[in-house]
Amino acid sequence: MQSNKYNDLLDRLENEELEVELGAEVYQQLLAIYLYQNKLANAKLLWMRIPDKLKEDKELLHLNQLNVALQNNNFAEFFQKIRYDWSECVKPAMEDLLVKQREDLLTLAGNAYVSIYQNNLLKMAQMTEDELKNAASALDWTRELNGDDVIWLPKAKETPPTGGNDDQLLKLTEFVTFLEN
Amino acid sequence: MGSALENFVNQVRTMSASGSFRELADDLPESVSLLARNWSILDNVLETLDVQQHTLGVLYVLLAKLHSAATANPEPVQIIQLMRDFVQRNNVEQLRFAICAFYETCHLFTDYLVQKNLSILGIKIMARAVDQIRQMDTQLTPIHADLCLLSLKAKNFNLVLAYLDTDITDISTAAAECKTQQQQQSQHTDANNDAKYFLLFYYYGGMIYTAVKNYDRALYFFEVCITTPAMAMSHIMLEAYKKFLMVSLIVEGNVSGSERVSFVQTNLYLSCLYLQIAFIPKNTQVIGRFMKPMASHYHDLVSVYANSSSEELRILILKYSEAFTRDSNMGLAKQVATSLYKRNIKRLTKTFLTLSLSDVASRVQLSGAAEAERYILNMIKSGEIYASINQKDGMVLFKDDPEKYNSPDMFLNVQTNITQVLDLVKQINKMEEEIILNPMYVKKALGSQDDDLTSQHPKTYSGDPTD
Repeated sequence: MQSNKYNDLLDRLENEELEVELGAEVYQQLLAIYLYQNKLANAKLLWMRIPDKLKEDKELLHLNQLNVALQNNNFAEFFQKIRYDWSECVKPAMEDLLVKQREDLLTLAGNAYVSIYQNNLLKMAQMTEDELKNAASALDWTRELNGDDVIWLPKAKETPPTGGNDDQLLKLTEFVTFLEN
Repeated sequence: MGSALENFVNQVRTMSASGSFRELADDLPESVSLLARNWSILDNVLETLDVQQHTLGVLYVLLAKLHSAATANPEPVQIIQLMRDFVQRNNVEQLRFAICAFYETCHLFTDYLVQKNLSILGIKIMARAVDQIRQMDTQLTPIHADLCLLSLKAKNFNLVLAYLDTDITDISTAAAECKTQQQQQSQHTDANNDAKYFLLFYYYGGMIYTAVKNYDRALYFFEVCITTPAMAMSHIMLEAYKKFLMVSLIVEGNVSGSERVSFVQTNLYLSCLYLQIAFIPKNTQVIGRFMKPMASHYHDLVSVYANSSSEELRILILKYSEAFTRDSNMGLAKQVATSLYKRNIKRLTKTFLTLSLSDVASRVQLSGAAEAERYILNMIKSGEIYASINQKDGMVLFKDDPEKYNSPDMFLNVQTNITQVLDLVKQINKMEEEIILNPMYVKKALGSQDDDLTSQHPKTYSGDPTD
């Protein structure tokens, strides 16, 4: 549901782009939505087709830096750059993006690390120690001390098992009948 | 001068009114040169015609306008507006009588926009044109290629992807259309252009998919392009072949890029053998004889890739960078290099359960543990490998794919795949039926049988009743 939030706006803007010349603001919005929806290839192409004279727009430049950071999976850079005084038209998208990326990063860390130094994680996520502590305890991670360094032992998120439903059973029955005939 | 144009207008009006569109379509090609000569007053002509009622007349005026664009130098905005108006309001039934002219108009319009650097404004118009003229959603028309070209030039693929995602089951060619319309095609279209637009569609399509990083589909498009039966090599095929080699390394890098390539080549040889038996032009020799020598850099790349040495690959790419840049394939070459690192890491997962990060780095020739960690993290993120990193000991643990094939998501996945396959079976059955019922095919199939039989029993079938 969440990622559909901007779809209507996106459709409208994409349509607009095919018919008239756009100003910097529309490009900002488009770029921000692409970033939020994680359509990095689209964002890259959009940047490539933005007319040169608009590329000097500060906010567009900044958005593109975010895109480059995301493409390279450079988390530290991304979280640094997203701290910016965004204008009204992209602000909501940027706030959502920040929340989403934080969440994704922590899920990723949960999946990819058995143990990770707090320093590294702080650097990646650009969070303060307290923020991290709260987020980590919400995820049920454990803390360990190794000399002076703090090490986090993340826990992989378990996806809740969802049982089959009638609809699926129906489909299965259909296949079986198909195979039998 | 004026009276000739008046005649033209009168002809269009009376014949359109009486509904004799076929005759009108047959006559109109002769007036193109007349119209083009009078480019300066074509706007007046347009005013006397109505797009809806006199679609054919307007079409030819547009054609003439585009033909004379070089000399007349009209306002781009005006041309675009005219085309937009035309595709929105024309009468498709009338248009069908002059499909060739319509295709030509679209091609010229596309060229014009590309020249004026206004491609983005034409995407919608061409998409609308495709919608109008194709008889079903899965039909390929020559103007598909124009749509792709405009999208590529404008770097805007939102609209075109829907057209590329539909699998093609039928092809509308200018040659076939002209034949049914019994037009004099010599002055209009060259039959060779059909092949050109077919190849271009798949070449551009492949490029578009590469740009949006849908490499599987891109590979498929390039494959169609290079496996098209042909007597001679087209440069479109050559370029597609180069890109095909690179994309196949990126896609199949994790399995075995070079295997895939040689697999396709053997496949080609086999299909050629088969095709020769079926009396269809010899094809793959084209690849072996013409394309391979002309794409030697790319073949070197494939063979070095197979050695799994990132260092060697890097040196080779550097060595050939000029050639790759000339072909605009440098970006792909860099991605090939990255894919080799990934492939090598992936191979480690098959041998080791745990490995220190610095070991990973030295085995895949990365600069250090930190870089290795970065690669592994990215690969975990994109789901290419399953592993967990232990920063405390500097080790990485490789795991098996946790998919147990018992989740609803997987079920949905399987389900969509089954539906696709079932649809495909239906489609193949339908097409086979069409071929079996095709009189030409029946005649030929029976004919060859006749030959066999006549040689054995000369008098059994003395005459074919259909002859």
